[in-house]
Amino acid sequence: MIDRLTAALARSRADYTEIRVERTWSTAVTFRGRRLESAAASEDQGGFVRALSPGGGWGVASFTSLDRLEAMVARAVELSRAVRVTPPIRLADVAPHRADAILDLDGDVRGVPIAEKKRLLEAYNGELLAVSDRVVDTVASYRDEVSEYWYINSDGTALHELRPEVTLSGTAVARRDGTIEKGLESIGLRRGWNSVQDKAAGFREAAERAVQLLDAPMVTGGAYPVILDPELAGVFIHEAFGHLSEADFVYENPQAREMMTLGRRFGRPALNVGDNGAAPGLRGTLPFDDEGTPTQNTPLIKDGILVGRLHSRETAATMGERATGNARAISFRHPPIVRMTNTYIANGRGSFEDLIRDVKLGVYACGAFGGQTLLENFSFTAAYGRMIRDGHLAELVKDVVLAGNLFQTLDRIDHIAGDFRWNQMGGGCGKGGQAPLPVTEGAPHVRIEEALVGGDVPAGSA
Amino acid sequence: MIERLLERASRRADGGADALWRQVERTSVAFEWGRLKAAGVSEEAGVNLRVRHRGRVGVAGTTAVDASPDDVLTRALASAELGEELALAFPAPASAPPVATFFQPVADASLDRLMAMGRSLLEQLEREGCRVNVTIEREIAETRVANSAGATGAYRSTAIGVSAELWRIAGDDVLAIGDVFEAADLPGDDALGALVQSVNLRLEHALRVVAPPDGALPVVFTPAGLSALLLPVTQALSGKAVLQGISPLAARVGELVFDSRFSLTDDPLRVGRAASRPLDDECVPSGTTCLVQRGVVERFIYDLETAARARTQSTGHGQRTIFGKPVPGYTNIVLGEGGREKGEGGDALGGGLLRDVRDGLLVDELIGVGQGNVIGGAFSHPVALAYRVERGAISGRVKDAAIAGNAYDLWKRVGGFGADARWTGARYTPSVLLDGVSVARR
Repeated sequence: MIDRLTAALARSRADYTEIRVERTWSTAVTFRGRRLESAAASEDQGGFVRALSPGGGWGVASFTSLDRLEAMVARAVELSRAVRVTPPIRLADVAPHRADAILDLDGDVRGVPIAEKKRLLEAYNGELLAVSDRVVDTVASYRDEVSEYWYINSDGTALHELRPEVTLSGTAVARRDGTIEKGLESIGLRRGWNSVQDKAAGFREAAERAVQLLDAPMVTGGAYPVILDPELAGVFIHEAFGHLSEADFVYENPQAREMMTLGRRFGRPALNVGDNGAAPGLRGTLPFDDEGTPTQNTPLIKDGILVGRLHSRETAATMGERATGNARAISFRHPPIVRMTNTYIANGRGSFEDLIRDVKLGVYACGAFGGQTLLENFSFTAAYGRMIRDGHLAELVKDVVLAGNLFQTLDRIDHIAGDFRWNQMGGGCGKGGQAPLPVTEGAPHVRIEEALVGGDVPAGSA
Repeated sequence: MIERLLERASRRADGGADALWRQVERTSVAFEWGRLKAAGVSEEAGVNLRVRHRGRVGVAGTTAVDASPDDVLTRALASAELGEELALAFPAPASAPPVATFFQPVADASLDRLMAMGRSLLEQLEREGCRVNVTIEREIAETRVANSAGATGAYRSTAIGVSAELWRIAGDDVLAIGDVFEAADLPGDDALGALVQSVNLRLEHALRVVAPPDGALPVVFTPAGLSALLLPVTQALSGKAVLQGISPLAARVGELVFDSRFSLTDDPLRVGRAASRPLDDECVPSGTTCLVQRGVVERFIYDLETAARARTQSTGHGQRTIFGKPVPGYTNIVLGEGGREKGEGGDALGGGLLRDVRDGLLVDELIGVGQGNVIGGAFSHPVALAYRVERGAISGRVKDAAIAGNAYDLWKRVGGFGADARWTGARYTPSVLLDGVSVARR
């Protein structure tokens, strides 16, 4: 394949040309309650060409029929020439790489019959249902894929990779009279079949949580000291801060650039944040990004000060910085854009107990049902919470929604514990119509000295 | 292609089969932060096959269409071995109503024409201290569906999407205002003018930031801002939710549940809309479905599978992609009378509804819509773009505010419908005034 791509690339009349080809085998199984909703295998293949002519813009072509490869290279060049851009687009230098990387498939999912995948998920779904007869509904899903990936560009980079991925998720819905609560388990790994065995305990816990929440009161809305568990802290840093550190947001927008000036204080000295696409064994990890740039650990906030951002080759050249290996595309259907990989709040010091010891009345917010950031405002729904009273964990509470302003909230992070962990969840990140992109988040327990917690939503009925 | 595939499938699957083949060609131009940056094309073709064998249903999809058709058939049969038993009947041939889905001017529009359209928008929107992104995407598609009962359908379609987004960052205040034109036919100068006008109007009122009000207040939702109020209702009207036992409307057919002026229709036969089509992706002819009429719940939407499980008929809402199995999905959702175009006050924000508001909000965009237990009707969202309304007029933009309520309660009593009905994606609605929405300061 690399030879074929090299021949097609040699015919390009552009200054810069890159070609990506992907072939993906995937299987998806879903249970809803005791019912198998679907079990199906798919095959997806296609290619992507991007070209840059002198003084031209990006010419982009994607296609599912590989017979069209040569024609689409010519089309991308033609489109690039049709777009005049001043000043011209430049790309940051990246040394050429040639690599043939077979990532650890850890039990190649392509060799496992679909019936066996169904049996595995049926067992986990069964764990959800067995917890209590209060569990009235479940949604459980299994998805795997192996993607064969080829990439070449006119700077001399040529890559071939075999990339695995497997995700498992389960939602338990518990009900008593009019009250409905949910518990969620989610696992996402850049690995294979062996890594999703023996996961029953997490599914059981999710269902138990849903049942316990039936008796939990709604959190009383108000401003509290809030401790985020590592999962919610990870989601928070990805959503609320990570997206602003993506350089395509700032590189050609002077006002945004000013807002995100390196050297600006974003938090207290305890706060250290980064993005590490090279961290071993995570879902957001790959040896190279989709422009052939090696991935790396990029510090973003150091001792509370903004020190870095995430780049593609184009954004890096415009800002006079180095490419960071963050140009990613979810598939051959899309161009690479600046994305996160594995985003983290680095370890602080001390234990969870140290964080709550001097809290008279506070909220411990755990897990994430969802979150959205719009500009500088965010809203996150925790999976559940516990009240903190006089330095100790107290009752379970539900409907814990955190909302606030990013800058204020980062600045109010006053304690970071030393119990860092990566959250190996499924799902993924969405941006510019590209979702879900596999990413990972990691954090220790984090304390916000004051945050607004919403809870009371008026009751109503149809 | 699908004829051959169905022929082979009928030989190996004893309960028949159906298939969808779709080819899509897209052309796009992107202006990023005020500059034309990229032009792109994409060509995609794929097939989705469903079989019924020994009473069980299975699906498979592929974009590797040039591969042997036996691969996708073998995978569909393997999927059916695990599938549930289902009395799924593939519909017999029936004539589909005529609806124009293909517009030659869209297919003929050159790259230069698309770029000129974008450039003109950019020129009209640019101003000091702001940056503008414009994206134009044109789509030409061909769809073929067929089943082993002899039903077939084929149609070509066009679509165009023009989106403009204006960003203004002043210190730590980030403001983004956007709008989208989406249709099956090219926008005229009036439609593009309306897009510019829509962004300008909302920007003009947003420059001044004022304190939000507090309490149970009247709130006017713009057509874009209505998402949080309509999402629970459309979710609850899906036959899938009814089957799953999670729809609060499940047992309410024939009952007055909403304000008597609240009507909701799904209309796949609207001329000029990108979601319109003569038949659905399962060979069921298109027809208008009245979901709620004058406050009374009329019916739910079904595809073949959910209809078989609910022992009813498909309403022609089968939607399928290349991958996965068909699911029930809406086409064009129309709120209210549907036919009403702009009336008095229709050019103003709120469509003339603000004059009755002494103190309240005008909500255009919320954060987190779709999160949480949507179908239950309860919602709680910070505002992304909202304005304070005082003594019948907008006094400024509010930033740190959140609104909460229950959609079903609020829809019981509508304060008024605006004279500004328009399409927002595949939804046609006016602005709506709802009373007693809980507004909180942050």
